[in-house]
Amino acid sequence: MDGISITLQHYLFLAALLFSLGVFGVLVRRNALVVFMSVELMLNASNLTFLAFARDAGMDVGHLPALFVIAVAAAEAAIGLAIIIAVFRSRGTVNVDDIRTMRL
Amino acid sequence: MTPDALAPYLPLLAVLVLAGGLGAIVSVMSALLGPKRPSAVKSTIFEAGSEPSPGSARQRFAVKFYVVALLFIVFDIETVFLYPWAVNFKALGWFGYGEMAVFAVTLVIGLAYVWKKGALDWES
Amino acid sequence: MLTLPTLTSTDFLPLWPALILSAGACLVLLSEVFLSSASRSFQPLLTVIATVLGALVAAATVFSVPTGVFGGFVVLDPFGSLVSLVICIGVGLSALLAPAFLRGRQAERGEFYALLLFGGAGMSLLVLSNELIFLFINLEILSIATYALAAYLRRGPRPAEAGFKYFILGAFSSAVLLYGAALLFGATRSTLLPQMGAELARIFTDPTLSDRQPLAYCGLALIGAGFGFKIAAVPFHMWTPDVYEGAPTPVTAMMSAAVKAAAFAAMVRVFLVLGRGIPGDALLTGFSTLAFLTMIGGNLLALPQRNVKRMLAYSSISHAGYLLVGVASLFVKSGTTKGGVLGVTALAAGATPDTAGALRGILFYLLAYTVTTVGAFGVLGALERRDDEVRGFAWDLDRLAGLAQRKPAWAVAMAVFMLSLGGIPPMAGFMGKLLIFRSAVDAGLVGLVIVGVLTSAVGAYYYLRVVVYMYMRPAPEAGGLPERNLSTELALVLSTVAVVVLGVLPGITGTWLSRGGSVFLGR
Repeated sequence: MDGISITLQHYLFLAALLFSLGVFGVLVRRNALVVFMSVELMLNASNLTFLAFARDAGMDVGHLPALFVIAVAAAEAAIGLAIIIAVFRSRGTVNVDDIRTMRL
Repeated sequence: MTPDALAPYLPLLAVLVLAGGLGAIVSVMSALLGPKRPSAVKSTIFEAGSEPSPGSARQRFAVKFYVVALLFIVFDIETVFLYPWAVNFKALGWFGYGEMAVFAVTLVIGLAYVWKKGALDWES
Repeated sequence: MLTLPTLTSTDFLPLWPALILSAGACLVLLSEVFLSSASRSFQPLLTVIATVLGALVAAATVFSVPTGVFGGFVVLDPFGSLVSLVICIGVGLSALLAPAFLRGRQAERGEFYALLLFGGAGMSLLVLSNELIFLFINLEILSIATYALAAYLRRGPRPAEAGFKYFILGAFSSAVLLYGAALLFGATRSTLLPQMGAELARIFTDPTLSDRQPLAYCGLALIGAGFGFKIAAVPFHMWTPDVYEGAPTPVTAMMSAAVKAAAFAAMVRVFLVLGRGIPGDALLTGFSTLAFLTMIGGNLLALPQRNVKRMLAYSSISHAGYLLVGVASLFVKSGTTKGGVLGVTALAAGATPDTAGALRGILFYLLAYTVTTVGAFGVLGALERRDDEVRGFAWDLDRLAGLAQRKPAWAVAMAVFMLSLGGIPPMAGFMGKLLIFRSAVDAGLVGLVIVGVLTSAVGAYYYLRVVVYMYMRPAPEAGGLPERNLSTELALVLSTVAVVVLGVLPGITGTWLSRGGSVFLGR
């Protein structure tokens, strides 16, 4: 094929980028929902890494982690959104900076 | 790509042609043969039997739907495990069937709980 | 063509505790909706029965020969069985604390017990996991159940806040761990721990594979950081005090006892199996640094706390530090001589580090800490009142003032737990520390042990302060007493007896514990 061929390194680089974006989002963003979405981004970065390595090694079973991670992420999303709604109902905001009744 | 490589997709092409042809024939026939009596109710926008919602789709949803949405996500994702089983159904045999039965029973327990808890009933 | 595994009853042997706990959880859940008109008092009973059955089944497999079952995904080994046993004990005792606590808040629901049991099943499977994805799923089962439990009392800002903080940091740490697992999968092309260990050994010896070394190091570091969050080691501890304070007290008891034991055991298994292939002191340095920071950080942060629940949260961090000393001594390689506080001082020539001894120490410590911490949180939960909780001074030291006059038996129990946490003989906590520090000294980690002993002395101050308040301060005038509750008192009596017996006669665990050192490492 002409032009740029997509190699393992490209996938890994993309996944690392997504993971870093996720970490950055968790640390920097203040909206609870955005923080939560950043965590999901990190999980998807792991998925992409698994798939890229599995494809590179020609392993079919390497795709299985992704399926399980998707299911786990769905369960985590359900509980996470429920908790965020509980937080919103108890104090009317989902800003992370305002969620600190308890401190040192 | 050689023509041989496309051979497995021949049935797919047949389905496309048949389905597309049938759809086209039915539309043309009904346009030619059907009676035409337009009325005010008939010419409103059809939206799944409910009142059509005009305006932007970017509106806020009542939070009471979130439980249903979350349940949908959780149960919907479970199909991800059904597909690999369905593809390997014959090879997995009764062993796979038993495993899937356990999986399904677990889901049914969850569904029974959710149902009896009233989480599917968003009117109340 | 795909080959089907042939499963025998041996394959299911290690899974029975988890199966019993899940079945109990499903029963409680269904009883909640189908028998909702009836009294709910049978739900805690059912929960405790499930945990007792789980504990018995786990105990029955203690003398099994270490093997891999389910195609190597699950292990059947004494170490896993014993930790499963500890987990069932922790979950069962926490369940005993719950009825009185929930009744006081009009929150008696079957979901609470179902979540406890589902969490327990996840923990039990976690310590038996020999494959990274299976391990991740079990970690998430226990985490998701615990997130829900932490936010269980939705009214009031604290539980929701605790649940939220726990959820965000828990999900973050799980994602970090998973990314580490993905990178290690890339380096070793396997997710089965024994295969990964063998492959890592090749990567670090075969020069043609040396380009995979950075990948392996990154993966190991990320997995270590993920576990660091779960066991609340400094510097990954910042969620602990808020979550422990805000969560319902029986849940806090469960988190600090069972969840911590499960996460610790899983971490030990992962690094023990993977670590065989890693040359040098990379793991030793990592774990001794963590142990050093955690012991010092946890104890110093606990010192100024007047809020006893928060003090116990920091104390749980410091205990993670002592356990990490034991973990670090697992990774001392024979023949290493390196100075410094964190390194090995000097290993006698020809001596081999006693891995089995260190594992036994860790197991005993986990058991001792589980019964002690559940009891301490139990006393605290029984004393707190709903209206003070919202304002946040339900757990002030003054609340315990004069407890010896008001409730002499409870004061004795609390004193026993505090002495045990402080590592003062003749309590279980002392024996645990003794075993861990001894195996660390045998392994040559003298510097670390000195730090451990010094920080224990610091810890004795804030534990004994509680005892002083109970026995030497006058009781406040308007000190309403909690009503008696059979299951709470049963839990407190059981844990007090366990703490004293384990401390005075540690030998009764002898034959069982001596099996605990055998971990399935794979071929």
